Amino acid sequence: MAKRVMVVDDSRMICMQMKNLLQGTDYEVAAYCRDGEEAVAQYGEVAPDLVTMDIIMPGMDGLEAAQAILEDYPDAKILMVSSLAYDDTFKEAEQIGAKGFIDKPFVKEKLLEAFQDALQDA
Amino acid sequence: MNTALSQQELSNLLDEAVREVTEQTAGVQLFPSGETPNENLCTVHISFSKGFHTSLTLCADTELVFRMARNALGEEELTQQDMEDFCKEYFNILCGKIAAILFRETSVPARFSIPAFYHGRYTPENHQTQFMLTYADAQKEGAQLTHHVPR
Repeated sequence: MAKRVMVVDDSRMICMQMKNLLQGTDYEVAAYCRDGEEAVAQYGEVAPDLVTMDIIMPGMDGLEAAQAILEDYPDAKILMVSSLAYDDTFKEAEQIGAKGFIDKPFVKEKLLEAFQDALQDA
Repeated sequence: MNTALSQQELSNLLDEAVREVTEQTAGVQLFPSGETPNENLCTVHISFSKGFHTSLTLCADTELVFRMARNALGEEELTQQDMEDFCKEYFNILCGKIAAILFRETSVPARFSIPAFYHGRYTPENHQTQFMLTYADAQKEGAQLTHHVPR
């Protein structure tokens, strides 16, 4: 049974790319949220195995949303996504409890490796 | 950009990023071209700050951007808004890649603005062009990345 991924990103392009990259793998996109508020509201209902969370989004950003989800669901597996991040962002994400980082643009092998690492780190 | 890099080195780094990101995100190969795109254009702009105080614009044939968006989204029927959203996200990813490369080469971290989309050709105020990289794809539609520095 495929692992269910919730994609949180203000760009629909990222969701479509994720869907395309995950075709034929052990993962599937179970839900798509366009901002942090929507992700926090939907997490419990969707109950995904994994979340990919863009950092920079309008309204509640990815770090805030990840923190809010992890407060309610400490076992949530959240991977932060960004086209640009430095050490301070990595540290903040780690402190919140995110399982790692994925760079944009996505590279399929790296993406699957990050997914596997996040899910094994239980 | 005000780095320790020469203009040629910077140009090479930007060229590397443009080609790689365009192929990865939109499945389009860009090749160097001598022909400036000049019909039915759109432009996306980002300003760099904190370490680099410059701007980049990408001006392209709208049809090329639509084709890139169709490839990226896997959909044939796209609205103007879909195209604009794609264009901004694509340029955001491209500038993230550029900032990461610059950090690798100079250890100087950069931040950049949210992308702004314009119809036609756009040049940021109070900036001058330092250099341009001009491309065309296999269908001869063009794109031009311009590096602007403050006057």
